[in-house]
Order: sequence, then structure tokens, then C-alpha cells
Amino acid sequence: MMIETGHFALVLAFALSLAQVVLPLVGARTGDARLMATGRPVAITCFAMTALAFAALVMAYVLSDFSVVNVFENSHSQKPMLYKVTGTWGNHEGSMLLWVLILTLFGALVAAFGRNLPATLQATVLSVQGMVGAAFFLFILMTSNPFARLNPAPIEGRDLNPILQDIGLAIHPPLLYLGYVGFSVCFSFAVAALIEGRIDAAWARWVRPWTLVAWVFLTGGIAMGSFWAYYELGWGGFWFWDPVENASFMPWLAGTALLHSAIVMEKRGALKIWTLLLSILTFSLSLLGTFLVRSGVLTSVHAFASDPSRGVFILAILVFFIGGALALFAWRSQSLAPGGLFHPISREGALVLNNLFLSTATATVLVGTLYPLAIEAVTGDKISVGEPFFNLTFGPVFAVLLVAVPFGPLLAWKRGDLFAAAQRLTMAFALAALAGILALLFLDRNAALAALGIGLAFWLVFGALTDLALRAGIGKVTPRTALRRLVGLPRSAHGTALAHLGLGLSTLGVVAVVTLQTETILTMKPGETVDVADYTLRFEALSPHRGPNYTEDQGIFPVFNADGDRIATIMSSKRLYTARRMPTTEAGIETLGLSQLYVSLGDETDDGGVVVRIWWKPLVTLIWLGALVMMIGGTLSLADRRLRVGAPARPRKAEPAAAAP
Amino acid sequence: MVFWLFLALLTIAASLAVLLPLARRPQTHVPASAHDLEVYRDQLAEIERDRQRGLIGESEAEEARAEIGRRMIKLEAAGTEGSARASRFLPIVAAGAVLGVPLLSWGVYATIGSPDLPAQPLAQRLEKDPRDNTLDELVARAEGHIRANPEDGRGWNVLAPIYLRLNRPEDAVVAYRNAIRLLGSDAARETGLGEALFAEAGGIVTKESADAFRRALEAGGNDNPKARFYLATAQAQEGRLEEAVAGLTALMGDLPQASPWRGVVGQALARAQAELGAPVAGGPSSDDVAAAAQMNAEDRAAMIETMVASLDERLRDNPADADGWRRLVRSYSVLGRKDDARQALERGLKALGADSEAGQELRDFAGTLGLGAVE
Repeated sequence: MMIETGHFALVLAFALSLAQVVLPLVGARTGDARLMATGRPVAITCFAMTALAFAALVMAYVLSDFSVVNVFENSHSQKPMLYKVTGTWGNHEGSMLLWVLILTLFGALVAAFGRNLPATLQATVLSVQGMVGAAFFLFILMTSNPFARLNPAPIEGRDLNPILQDIGLAIHPPLLYLGYVGFSVCFSFAVAALIEGRIDAAWARWVRPWTLVAWVFLTGGIAMGSFWAYYELGWGGFWFWDPVENASFMPWLAGTALLHSAIVMEKRGALKIWTLLLSILTFSLSLLGTFLVRSGVLTSVHAFASDPSRGVFILAILVFFIGGALALFAWRSQSLAPGGLFHPISREGALVLNNLFLSTATATVLVGTLYPLAIEAVTGDKISVGEPFFNLTFGPVFAVLLVAVPFGPLLAWKRGDLFAAAQRLTMAFALAALAGILALLFLDRNAALAALGIGLAFWLVFGALTDLALRAGIGKVTPRTALRRLVGLPRSAHGTALAHLGLGLSTLGVVAVVTLQTETILTMKPGETVDVADYTLRFEALSPHRGPNYTEDQGIFPVFNADGDRIATIMSSKRLYTARRMPTTEAGIETLGLSQLYVSLGDETDDGGVVVRIWWKPLVTLIWLGALVMMIGGTLSLADRRLRVGAPARPRKAEPAAAAP
Repeated sequence: MVFWLFLALLTIAASLAVLLPLARRPQTHVPASAHDLEVYRDQLAEIERDRQRGLIGESEAEEARAEIGRRMIKLEAAGTEGSARASRFLPIVAAGAVLGVPLLSWGVYATIGSPDLPAQPLAQRLEKDPRDNTLDELVARAEGHIRANPEDGRGWNVLAPIYLRLNRPEDAVVAYRNAIRLLGSDAARETGLGEALFAEAGGIVTKESADAFRRALEAGGNDNPKARFYLATAQAQEGRLEEAVAGLTALMGDLPQASPWRGVVGQALARAQAELGAPVAGGPSSDDVAAAAQMNAEDRAAMIETMVASLDERLRDNPADADGWRRLVRSYSVLGRKDDARQALERGLKALGADSEAGQELRDFAGTLGLGAVE
């Protein structure tokens, strides 16, 4: 009963999303308050129905109900409970259900917290949000129904892809989807503004927090995906320029640009049209990512099932929304009033520069991702565009952007003084240069690139700190006053500094790993030792173990420091998942400070040895810690109380609206 | 019933979400410009706060205030828009939505849903009356029981032959080993273990397997054609053809006339004798033994014959197995033994009842294999 109730709730959600498209839009266009008012309860009910459907599917997984095709294909009765639950979205159908769940959640949030929005704007936004929802509900019901049934039901499932049986599956997709889908709100706001033909003053204030929410989650989702790939795939790479990764990275780049242009728009009323366009592009890139991953155009661990009809369907959705929004943009954007003026050297100018570079970076990633697909479609040749391409194109663009980052916050609005800003950054520059020189002297005298990269990373970190120090007036006022002012700074100022600092930390991690990591591959027999960095690893033994749904050979490696003290034990294993007869490697990772030792087991040799790969990854954890700092920065900025716009008091009947105090 | 009630409640909830705002008196319309004004006021207040904290200077604050002031003036110049009015589309759109949501959802659900199919949580399926369980469910149940009580020898003993029949030899080996460990060795268990090991090795009577058959003969005496046959096969596979022929001849002599083993044993005997007539020069070497591991066509044929014989025997003991009869008929037919196939069909029809549904199906099935209808 539970399952069919969930199935019905899903169908009901589809019907409601259609009502959500039509009623508020007709209301907004004709000025009918009652029709506009339907948007809110319908959006909230639509979310409730989707949540019910999702809960039913989760229950089917938890209870191992193999009469549901989706559960049979992706679960197993002996799987640990956590993976039964996460397995709900570890497959195509379930992940699409999670997608619409989050989409309707954002619709419901706009409905619940949008009381201070002009009524027509809110109604139109909900209608556009409903359109996206309706398209995806239809997609799910027609091509990817998670509630398809099997009769008679098999007694055991086929188990989840072992690579996905990991805590990462509990975190990565939901975060990523919250990010992807969060941008749908910005998209809806942009399209609503175009439909209405005017941009309210509240528009930017509303778009910025939504962009921030989506951006924070997307940052977390990408970082988690990178971390997961790092420890699960067994060779310690943290970024592969894999098309699927690029698909999530492009909305992030565009979203970062949107975040910055939304600041200009909020503060100065400028860049309105550009912000609209970015809102549309960012969500379009999210949709493109969904298309690339879900259509089977790309084969990767993310492509759960490839079915041409699904690809065509998503392509149609893609064409409708991107094409429709851009056509609307071309048609209506001229009628929008342009915003305020500014000098090229100013905070606005710096943010425009940031936008130009981020857009260029997005474009290079887009080309690198789509070019191989286009070549394959036209000539049938399979080419792969990998690291060298992105190092040559994306690398320089992003490096220049990173150099410019610390200047931005130091420039004044409207008219800035670049020279003064540079003067204030002298200290940060000196410290960064010192870091680079120290790296050159003490780490590797031949690694000029590493030294430059490390210098750049510290430039970002000290630049962000300089910004905070200047705002607090450190050095100009008494330390007590400075501290009080530092604490009293608006949260968005802390947010900016933290986000830029996090960017610096991530850069440091990436540079250190790319330029300074060491790799050792050797055959080890029990009792043998090997020196890696400043540590010594001993291979103790390979012993068999049995997990709930797998068997594994565990290799035990005690780690000794330079003094010969045993400081840690690394366990690295090779698993065989019994249901799918699929082997996986479970890397052994030991964190030492901010760096990590990464041990991965290879094949056994005839003479009783085993091939062992050991990496020393200096400062690798900073890559993800930096992302975490960025997320904290974004959250702080989101919590800034200035963002809460009060709703205008509803006039009493007798009083005219203009007389409100 | 409860289910339909639940669906109706959900539908009502959804319809109310559409209907209630339409039925309510419209709220007073707040023009968009009032919202804009509110934002500008907030911005003015923020400038004041920033100035007090010393984040911006007096002149900057003054400039910002002037700019916001200009925007407010512009807003007032634009004037306020018309107030709220009721749409003339309201009745049509409202009626369409209120009717559309239930109609569409019930219509779509009626097409793609399976309202009659109950949920089947695994735990609940395994708890229901065993007579309603399918074979797979029974096995899963027994497996669940064994996992909880791994020292239950009887459980292992029941599961082991089922695993063998389901073609899960690895599991069968484990089950037989556990049954022997817990209940002790006897002819049936040792024979089963030997057979499971044979199947696990892909049709080779390994040393382990042969040992099991030998123990079976020690425990239960010579009246065990299966064990004796496999032991002879082992000898043949190792190239000890004389011993194999001797063993098979003795077995043939001991088998009663009606025994289903006669066919298999006779063929194996003939084959062994033929090979014996043209022995490999130099006799069996370790290479030959290794080569035997790569099953050749004859070995494979022998294995199939053995399996068919087992099936035949089982159907004699347990004739109410429509699936089994179908397999037997097909097997004989594939092996080219048309007469045996026809005989099996007759026996099957007799066992199942020629006019019963199962009998009819069996007859139809035989028809597809080119075996004429037997009356």
C-alpha cells in the first residue's frame, strides 16, 4: 500500500505542478489577486506530495521490497542499512526523484518565505518554477518511473554498484542537487522579471541569497565528489576533468560570477541585464549537466543507465527551457531600465572583470567538455580532452583571476583608486613572495612553478586577511577598538574574506599536490619496509576478512616516523562484492598534519609479494578544507541581517498605499 | 479499501490547496512600488548603520543617500499602478484546475499504477505461511534461519540438496560440509558433497570429490549407484580405463532392470571400452590429467547424461513436478534420444494427469519440440 500511495502522490504532484504553472501566471498577467494567491499553497502541497513519494521509495529500500523494480535492481537484503537508504538515490530513477524533491522544496521555500515579495513577482516565479517541475515530473513518469513493479517479486536484489556503497553517496548527490536545483530559483526570478518586463528593487536582494544557498551547496557537493573520487577510486586523483565533473564545475563557475554580479546589482542597481543573463545561463548549465549525466551521452560511474529515449526527453526539456528563456531575454531585455553608472576602476569594475574571467573560464570548460562529443557526432572519432587542454586554457585564465582577487574588496564603489589599493596590499604581497621564496629554497630548488603557485595561494590568503585588517582599522586604532570593529563588521564582509581565504587554501592544496607529491610503486613481501617522505612503512601481512556483503584482503602497513616510533597503522584492502562479483580497492589513507599518506594495493605476485602503490600527498587536505572555509564564508554572508527586507505594511482599507509610514 | 480511502484523502488535500485561496476574499493589493520603497528605506537605514560604525565616511554616506533619494523620486514619478481586479478568466481557470487536478491524477495513475499489487517487504514475505512461499522464498527463509543459527545441522542438511538443484554448487558444498560437521557423515550427505564438488569443479571428479564418494560407499555400502558411477568416472578421467571399465561393468550387473542409471552407465561403459581399445601411447601422464581439466565434448556429454539420469530418477520418486518433466523431455530431445523423450512425455502425462492444465502445457511444450501428441 505504501508504495502505491507513493506512486499516486507522485502523479498528484505532477497534476499540482501543472496547476502551479497556470493559475498564478494567469493571475499575475490579469492582476487577479485570488489566482495569484493559489501559487503558495499549491507549491507547498506539491512539495508535500513529492516528499511523500520519496519517503515511500525510501521505505521500499529499507524494507527490501523487491516487488519494486528499482529496489530489486539496486539493493540487496544483506546491505548495511545506511546504504539501503542512500541507495534510494544511487540510481537513475531515484536520483531524478531526489532532483524534483529538491526542486519542489525550493518552490515551497519561495512560497513560504516570499511574503515580502511583490505579489505578481512571486506568482510568476512560482509559475516558472512549476514549469521546470512539471517537465521533470513528466520525464520521471514517462521514462524513469521509480515505482514500476515486478510480479512475482524476486527474493533477492542485484545489489548497488559497490563503488557507490560509501558514505559519500549519502552526502555528495544531495549537496550537488541542492546546488544545481537551487539555481532554478534564480532562473525563475530571471524569467519572471523578463515576463513582467520590470526588475523590482527587491529582485537583486532576493536573487543574491538564493544564489548563495545554491553556491554553498554546490561548492560542498563538488568538494565532496572530489574527495570521494580521491579515496574511493584508488589512485589518489582529486580532479580528473571528467565531463561529468566539468558538468558540475560549469554551473559553479557561472554561479560564482552570478554571485558577484548580484552584489553589484543589489548595491548599485547596475549590471541588471547581465545578472539576468547569468541567472539563465547558470541554471542552463545545471540542466546541461543533468542532460550529459543522465542521457548516456557520457559513460562514467554516474551514468547509471543509458536509454536513448531518456536522452531525447531531457534534450527536449533543455531546448525548451534554455531556448525559451534566451528568446524571452532577447525579446524583453531591451525594455528593462539600465542601472547606475560607474568608473572602470571601482568595485563594480573589479566585479565586471571577475565576471569576464569567470565567464571565459566557463566557456573553456564548456568547449573542452562538448568538443569531443561534437567530434564524435560528426566524424565518429573518439578523442579525449584532458588535463593538458585545461592546463593550457583554463589554467592561465584562472591564474590571472586569482591574482586580481585581493584587489576587488579593497576598491571603493563607483570610483576606486587602484594605486591606493595596491599600496595597502604591499604587506600581503611581501608575505606571499616570502612564502614562494621559502618554498623554492627549502622544498625544491628546481620547482619554479611550485614556488609561483604557492606564492599565489598565500597572496590570496594574506589578501583576504588584509581586507579584514583594513576594515577593522588594525594599526590605526587601538587594538581593543580594532578587535571590536572586527567583530562588529557586517557578516557579509567576514563572508567575503573567508570565501577568498578558502579559495587561497584550496589553491595551496592543489599546487602542493600537483607539484610536490611523490609516487612509489613496488612489490612488497611481508616484513619489508619502504621510505616515503619522512616516514617508513612496513608491510605486515595480507589477511582475509569478511564484510556483510563482500570479502576482502586487508594489507596492514604500520607507519614509523624518523625516530622509529610507530605513529599509525594504515589498512588498505581489495574487496570483492559477492552479489555483483565486482572487485574494488579500498585505499588506506593516513592523515599526518595537513598531508596524507595514500596506500593502494595492486595484484599479488607469484612469489608471495603484492604490488603496492604509495603516494605522499603534501597539504592535500587543504583542497577540501578550503572548500569548507568557502562554504562557511557563503553561509556567513547568507546570515547577514541586511538581506532581510521588511514587507511593506498592508494598507488598511481607508488609507492609500502611498501613505504608509 | 483503506488504500483507496487514503488516495481519496490525498486527492482532497491537493484539490483544497487549489480551491481555498480561490474561495477566500482577495487580500488588499499592495502595489509593487511599495515594495521598492521598502527596499530603499532599508538601504538608507543600512547606510546610517555603516556610517555609525565608521565603515564608510560622511561624504560617501551623503553620496549614497543622494543616489537612493534619486531612485525614490523616480519611483514616485512613475506613479502607482492600478489596483487589484478580478480576472474574467477566474471562473474558467478555477473550474479547470479544481476539476483537472483529480481527473488528471486519477487518469494517469489508472494507466501506470498497480493498485492491486500489495507491498512485499522481504521480512513479511518470509514470515507468511510456508505453503504460499515460492521455492526462492523458501530458500531465502531457510538461509535467514541458518544465518541466525549456524549450528543447526538439520537446516544445512535440508538446504544442501536444494542448492545443488538450483545450480549453486559453491553454496551446496558449504552446506553439505556443515551438515556433515554437525550431524556426522552418512552415505547421502557424502554422496551429495561429492556431487556438489564435482559440479563446482565444472564436471571434474576431483580428489576431494572422489574421497567423499568413497566415504559414502564405506558408510552406506555398495547400493549407491551414483557414488559408484562417479568413482568410475573419476578413474576414466584419470585415464585408468581398465579400472573404470571394471567398476562400470560391476555396477551394471548390480543395477535392477528398471533403474534409470542403466542408460548412463551403459553409455559410459561403452565409451570407456572404446577408449581402452585405442589407448593413448605411453599411458596417462600428468599432462593428460591436466588436460582432463579442460572438459572436452565427451566429458561434457557424460556430465549432461548424468544430470539427465538424476532428473529421471528424481521424477520417479517425485512425479508431481511439471517443470521437471518439461526439462526431462527437452533434455532427451536435445540429446537426440527421441524414444526416451516420448517415453518421458508419456510418463509425465500420466503423472500429471493428461487432461489437467499442467498436462496440457506439457503436451504443448512437447509439440514445439517436434514430439507428436501422444494419446
